[in-house]
Amino acid sequence: MSIPRLSVAARVVVALVVAGVAGSIASAQRPRFYPDDPIRQEPASRDAAKAQPYNRPDLYEMFDNLLVTARRQPSGRRAGNLNTIDEVPDSSWFTNRIGTAPITPEAIARGPVVGPPPDPSKWVLIREKTSGAHPGFTARDARGETFFLEFDPPAFPGGATGVVAIATKIFWALGYNQVESYLTTFDPRTASIDPKATLRRPSGARTPFAQDDIDAILERVASNPDGTYRVVAGRLLPGKILGEFRYEGTRPDDPNDVVPHERRRELRALRVFGAWTNLTDWKAANTLDVLIEENGRSVIRHYLQDVGSTFGMNNEQHEWDLGWEYFYQGGPTLKRLFSLGFALSPWQTVNYVEYPSVGKFEGTVFDPRRWHPQTPTVAYMDMRDDDAFWAARRVAAFSDELIRAAVHVAEFSDPAAEKHLADVLIQRRDKIVRTYLPAVNPIVDPRFDGTTLTFENAALAAKAASGAVSYTAEWARFDNATGEEAIIATTQSATTSLAAPPALPSAPGSFVAVHVSAESTEHPAWRQPVRLHFRRDATGWTLVGLERLPDRAAGSPSAGR
Amino acid sequence: MTSIDRILTVALLAAGLASPSAGQDSQAATRAAVIEQEQQAKEAALRPYAPSPSERFVEKAQDLLVDGGLHWHPYLDPAATGAGLTIGVGYMQHVSAYNLIDVRGNYSLNGSKRAEAEFTAPRLFKRRAKLSVLGGWREAAEVGFYGLGNDSSEDDETAFSFEQPYARAVLTVTPTRQFLELGGSVEWAQWKVGRGKGDERSIATRYTPATLAGIGATVDYLHSQASVALDYRPSPGYSRRGGYLGVTAHDFVDRDGEFGFREVDYEVTQHLPILREAWVISLHGLATTTHSKSGERIPFFMLPALGGGSNLRGYGALRFRDRNRLLLQAEWRIMANRYMDTAVFYDAGKVAARAAQLDFDGMRSDYGVGFRFHGPFFTPLRVDLAKSREGLSLVLATAAVF
Repeated sequence: MSIPRLSVAARVVVALVVAGVAGSIASAQRPRFYPDDPIRQEPASRDAAKAQPYNRPDLYEMFDNLLVTARRQPSGRRAGNLNTIDEVPDSSWFTNRIGTAPITPEAIARGPVVGPPPDPSKWVLIREKTSGAHPGFTARDARGETFFLEFDPPAFPGGATGVVAIATKIFWALGYNQVESYLTTFDPRTASIDPKATLRRPSGARTPFAQDDIDAILERVASNPDGTYRVVAGRLLPGKILGEFRYEGTRPDDPNDVVPHERRRELRALRVFGAWTNLTDWKAANTLDVLIEENGRSVIRHYLQDVGSTFGMNNEQHEWDLGWEYFYQGGPTLKRLFSLGFALSPWQTVNYVEYPSVGKFEGTVFDPRRWHPQTPTVAYMDMRDDDAFWAARRVAAFSDELIRAAVHVAEFSDPAAEKHLADVLIQRRDKIVRTYLPAVNPIVDPRFDGTTLTFENAALAAKAASGAVSYTAEWARFDNATGEEAIIATTQSATTSLAAPPALPSAPGSFVAVHVSAESTEHPAWRQPVRLHFRRDATGWTLVGLERLPDRAAGSPSAGR
Repeated sequence: MTSIDRILTVALLAAGLASPSAGQDSQAATRAAVIEQEQQAKEAALRPYAPSPSERFVEKAQDLLVDGGLHWHPYLDPAATGAGLTIGVGYMQHVSAYNLIDVRGNYSLNGSKRAEAEFTAPRLFKRRAKLSVLGGWREAAEVGFYGLGNDSSEDDETAFSFEQPYARAVLTVTPTRQFLELGGSVEWAQWKVGRGKGDERSIATRYTPATLAGIGATVDYLHSQASVALDYRPSPGYSRRGGYLGVTAHDFVDRDGEFGFREVDYEVTQHLPILREAWVISLHGLATTTHSKSGERIPFFMLPALGGGSNLRGYGALRFRDRNRLLLQAEWRIMANRYMDTAVFYDAGKVAARAAQLDFDGMRSDYGVGFRFHGPFFTPLRVDLAKSREGLSLVLATAAVF
């Protein structure tokens, strides 16, 4: 065999064509499902010891988010850190807790706490508080452990400290890494100043911390009748502090950080969890990356460090628009400008029941899709309806009892305030469930025994939807090597049980694909089939694939941008 | 190696380069291994975070503003009201943790100049007092004077100039660290009044020392002042609620015993939030009375005045002068967003020879619209367009109107 003589250019073209074909073959040979699918743990295989601290300037982040991110079109991309059954595996960002395993009221009241509470009999102040809006110090307790102390402002006695206590429990249960926080007391009569403690002054110099510096803070906070002060104490995190994480991109110095943060479902889902709890302050400074030792190597753990801007407990009591608008939004600005303010915004008329310990938090007018943080993030903008569905199921998993147990940790002096806050959380939970569970095909928990496919309809189960629903399943053989599907049959049912057709493969290692759609006159979105894949193992069929919405084709929340 | 061998070899190498993940996947037997290979690939290209140029710029600016690194600052307060566009700069330097010295100067479009240095100690007596010691010199090239009284005519405009060295010490005490504010100050100032240096007709062409006290005079004043005030605004620089009540008494002693007098200012401000501060009705009142000492006269350049960007905004600077004045202002501010308000305003004012004449008859008034660009506690830019019977005025200011 001989080949014709070709020019150099022609040879290169031929080579590239062959390369393309070869590459395609190699890519096509990647199996759709691996033996360990669905993974439950995102591996962190490399050492991140070289990671260096860096914080982006707050002002830059704020303007970037308000002026650039807020105008960004959602990517439509499916979350990138999912396992093959549309779930988020455990990782250095997230740990599956509520919605995955039962949580007791006692467990939620304990939350992230693993160590002993601080001993408040003697605090030694070592420096100023470096984060958070409310006044405080960094101090060592009587046992010498370092805590960050935060006080209540006079307008909210019990409030600022209470919401930190509650929110850390809730966000821990939701799966986020949280700081261990304790409600305790600060007695200035037994407190002292570390001789090495310094404070940064307006001149930029650090000079010794003085009694007057303590007085200056205590004058601005709420005190107890006995002369002590209620504080929330956050335990110093172990490890090397690396500064904030971002809601977009990856850390260039962390080898294990390979999924762009805007594609991490747990960060997108903060849009739902934030709406539920009214967590308005999403600035990166409220997050923290910490380098820790784990399994013999250095890895970065990612914390939602400050979740105190929740439940309407804002920096000051006159911020009425938080949760309703970004710090700046062109549309409402123009509306108010040209109507001379006569075109009222919802935050001007909503009725708040306020207690000294509870901020501006209500559930009657609350609309999850119209809720806004102070500034949007890329992850917030990129949330899709399947992300919101995932988040809403976790919110739905908070029973009334769990919510009341979480709120009880705030130790509010007024039982009416505690009841009010829990009632509003329950009301907002129900709205989130009603908003997001029916927004996509809500089939969950599919099981296949070889003859029958059974599943739940999460929206109907949660009473977030009603009416007659019929289900259609399209069955196919699935070739795991090529990804090809060969249709076998279609079956239908008016219940959440669908009979399998005959002639399904049964050999161990074989796969079937089932595309299940639902017909409901009230919810046309349910016609989008959920794509299920089962693998035949020695003991039966195992769910290895679930895709609720395909990549780039998903609807994303239309309101609020 | 044949040609086809070489082509295939190149092609396969290219396939490996073009699709590294595919190549790696072919070796990975598990999902975890696939992810670990991605992590391994990234490990080879680790680098520290590199901020963009704009990020570095903002970081530097933020460090300067927040961390005490800011030394240079604009200084736009002119030598005299109505001097026109003013450019200037100041240099601040902390001399201790909180105390600072600010040296500043500026130049105005009409040729006015100002240079001064101020020492400020903001945390005296356990944060209960603030001391300012200031010394400087200013030259106002052209200051308008339209005659005395509320009925003076715009056509009667004349101009004068003055030079003035001055030195002042001000102590402000807040015994409870909030609300109640007590102030005291002493100042030496020398006024050397001359002809206007601009195009306007000079004041000396119309008045003589006999017809207008202070023409051509050089006066050395020892000015002492005491004030008491209740300030329950979040900030004097920007507020949407709260108010201010204050009385200030002045005593001007002329070393030559010719131009000594006393003055009392009464000021009240109230911000009334409506619809959760989306609207604010802001009301402001100011009354000033003067009393000449026995056998002495009040020079024209020290008489209370109205007109200009912070009071009667539709009139020229210092448009009305007399021994007493009354100013009433109302603004309806509408919050457009957290950083911008628009406002509709109305100003009315009157000057009179006797305090008893400070009634509502014959008040001069204006109205207009404006925009305020602000932070939580300050107003770096205010733009007002005001209309009076003497025409339209555009006001650009770097402070709240009241």
